[in-house]
Amino acid sequence: MSVLSKLEETLICLKAGRVTLAYPAQAEATPENFRGRPIFDATKCVGCAGCANNCPAREILVFDLCQEIRILQYLGRRCTYCGRCADVCPEKAITMSREFENATNRIADMGQKLDLFMSTCQRCGRCFKGAAALDELKMKGYRSDDIAHERWVYGAHSFMESEPAADDIQIELD
Amino acid sequence: MWKNLCEKMFGRSLWVYHANSGGCNGCDIEVLNVLTPYYDVERFGIKLVGSPRHADVMLCQGPAMRSTGQALKRAYEAMPAPKLVFAIGSCACGGGVWFDSYSVLGPVEKVVPVNYYIPGCPPRPEAIIYGVAVALGLVDKKVAPVEFKQVEFPIPIYHPGDLRRENGMVVYEKVERV
Amino acid sequence: MSSVIWRIVGGVLNVGIVLLVAPLGQGVLRKVTARVQSRQGPPLWQPYFDLLKLLGKEDIESGETPRMQRFAAYLSLATVLAVACLVPMGFASPMNGAADIILLIYLLTLCGICTLLAGLAAGSTYSLVGASREMMSMIALEPVFAIALIVGALHTGSFRLDTVLNGSVYGTAGVPWSGLIMLAVMILSFQAFVQRVPFDISEAETELMEGPLMEYSGPKLALFKYAQMAKLVIYSALFVRMFVPWGAGFTFPLAGLVFWAMFWAKVAVVVLVVTLVAATHARYRIDQAIRFFAGMFAAALGALVLASYGY
Repeated sequence: MSVLSKLEETLICLKAGRVTLAYPAQAEATPENFRGRPIFDATKCVGCAGCANNCPAREILVFDLCQEIRILQYLGRRCTYCGRCADVCPEKAITMSREFENATNRIADMGQKLDLFMSTCQRCGRCFKGAAALDELKMKGYRSDDIAHERWVYGAHSFMESEPAADDIQIELD
Repeated sequence: MWKNLCEKMFGRSLWVYHANSGGCNGCDIEVLNVLTPYYDVERFGIKLVGSPRHADVMLCQGPAMRSTGQALKRAYEAMPAPKLVFAIGSCACGGGVWFDSYSVLGPVEKVVPVNYYIPGCPPRPEAIIYGVAVALGLVDKKVAPVEFKQVEFPIPIYHPGDLRRENGMVVYEKVERV
Repeated sequence: MSSVIWRIVGGVLNVGIVLLVAPLGQGVLRKVTARVQSRQGPPLWQPYFDLLKLLGKEDIESGETPRMQRFAAYLSLATVLAVACLVPMGFASPMNGAADIILLIYLLTLCGICTLLAGLAAGSTYSLVGASREMMSMIALEPVFAIALIVGALHTGSFRLDTVLNGSVYGTAGVPWSGLIMLAVMILSFQAFVQRVPFDISEAETELMEGPLMEYSGPKLALFKYAQMAKLVIYSALFVRMFVPWGAGFTFPLAGLVFWAMFWAKVAVVVLVVTLVAATHARYRIDQAIRFFAGMFAAALGALVLASYGY
C-alpha cells in the first residue's frame, strides 16, 4: 500500500487527459479492409448461386420461380461478414461495404432480395453447362429453398418439415 | 407528474445486465471494450450491474442453447419492468454459423422477446454504441430492406407458340414476349 | 418551547441537506473516478437520474420474507436520516440535549445491521454469503468508531454531543497521543465505514452479484442506494467534526456562515480523498480485510488505554 505509487498512477492517468472518443457525435474513419455489410448489386448478378452455395451460415436462399426467374434472398440475420460470397462471386456483384451501423429493431430490415431474370438454354430451358466436371456436380437444376419460412433446404436433410432438428425441448418455468 | 419524470429518466440511466448463453465470447469482449475509457459508455449513464433484478437492459450474446435456454428465460423474467433486450452479435440475432448444431435452439428470440438487434461478428464497439443510441432515440436506424425486381428483360425470348412456318422458313412473330 | 421548535426545524434542515447533497457526493465520486481513469464519466447529476429511474421500476417481491425485505429497506434510510439529525453540520447539533453519543453509536451500528437484515431476508445463496461477510467486517469494524467517540468522552468527561463532537479526542494538555493514534486509525479504516473500495466486500459487484442487495428491485433498491450515498456524507461530517473541527473562533460578522462554508469545504475534501483512494486501489479479500481490521482494533484499544491514563 505505498501511497507514492498510487499518486504516480493517478498523475499518469490524469496527464493522459480524456481519451474518450466522441462517438456518436463524431464518427471515426474505418480501417482500409474493414468488412461491413455485404451489398448485392442486382445489375451485375447473373444468378449463379455461387454465394448461396458457399455461405457458411446459409444466409442466402435461392428459389426458382419459373424457368426464367430466380429469386436470390440474403437474410441478414446470421451473416458473420466473412466475405466468402464476395470472394466467390464471378461477376464481383457483391461488395463488403464499410457499414457497421446496422442496429435495428426489426431483423427483417437487414434483408436484400433480388428477382433475377435468368437467360435459359434454348434446348432444355435450364442452366448452362458448367465449364468443369466439378461445376456440373454442383448444378442441380431448379433450386427451391423455403423462402416463406426462410429455411435453407438445398442439400440438407435436417431442414425438412418432417424432420425437426431438436424436438425434445420444452421450455417452461417451474 | 412523478410517473412522467421517472419514465423520462429511464433513458438517462440504463443499467445493463450481461447474459452470455453459449457464445464464443467474441461479443463479450466487444461489450467489455464498450465499457473501457476509449469508448466510455458510462457518459450516457449506462452501468454494468451484477444482478438481473437491478437491470433495465439485458445484453444477450450467443445463441440460445439447450443447456442455457431455461436460465436465459429465468433471467429475463427476473428483470423488473420496464425492460429491454438487446441481441448482440449474429449468434444472438439469428443463430450465427451454429444455427443447425445439435445443441443450439436457435436465436435468442426463441426464448426471450428481443427489442433491438445489433448484428455483427463481433459488432464493433461503435456499432454497439450506435445500437444503444438507436434504442434511446438519439439517432435513426440506417438499414432498411432492399428489394430489386427486374422490370426490364435484357434478352429476347423465343417462345415456340410464336413461331410459324412460312415457305419453308421459320418466322418469329413477336420479338419480346415473356 | 421555542427551543423545541428550533430543534425540530434544525433536525428537518439537517435531514433535508443530507437528502439533497448525498447523490451529489456520489456524482462527484463517479466523475472523479472517471477522470482518474482518463475517461469522460457520467454527468454530475447522474445519481439523481438513477434514483428517479429506480423509483419508476416495477417492484418484484421475491425472496424468503417479503415483509422483512420491506422493513429492511425502510429501516436503512430511516437510520441514516436519524443519524443526520444528530450530527452537527456546520451549526450546533439539533438534538443536543435530547441525545448523546451512546445513541449515536447505537444508530451507526443499526445502519450496518440493515444490510444484514437485507441479506438474510432475501435468502438466496449470494445474499447469505454477502451477509456473512458483512457480519464479519462489522464485528471487526464498528468498535473502532465507538472507541474513537469514547476516547473523546474520556478526555472531556461527558457524553454530550456538542462536547464530544468538537475535536475532543485531542485532549487538553501535552501531545495528544491517543488523539493522534485514533486519527491514524480512522484515516486508514475510513473506506470501510463508507463502503468503498478497498473494503466494500459485502457489496462486491463482480464477485457476489451485488451480495445482500441482490434480490431488491425498483423503489426498495432506491432506498438502499440512497442510504449508501447518505452514509458517505454523514461519516465525512462525523470525521470532520471529531478530528478537524477548527475554525469556530472567528469573531467577525457572518462568522457562522463562514464556519458553515468551511465545514462543507472540509467535507468535500474528505469525499475527494475517499474517491482518490477508491479509484486507485483494488478490493481486499475478506481474510485480508479482517486481518487489517484486527490490527486497527488493537491500535484503537491501545489508544483507549492511553486515554484512560490521561495521555
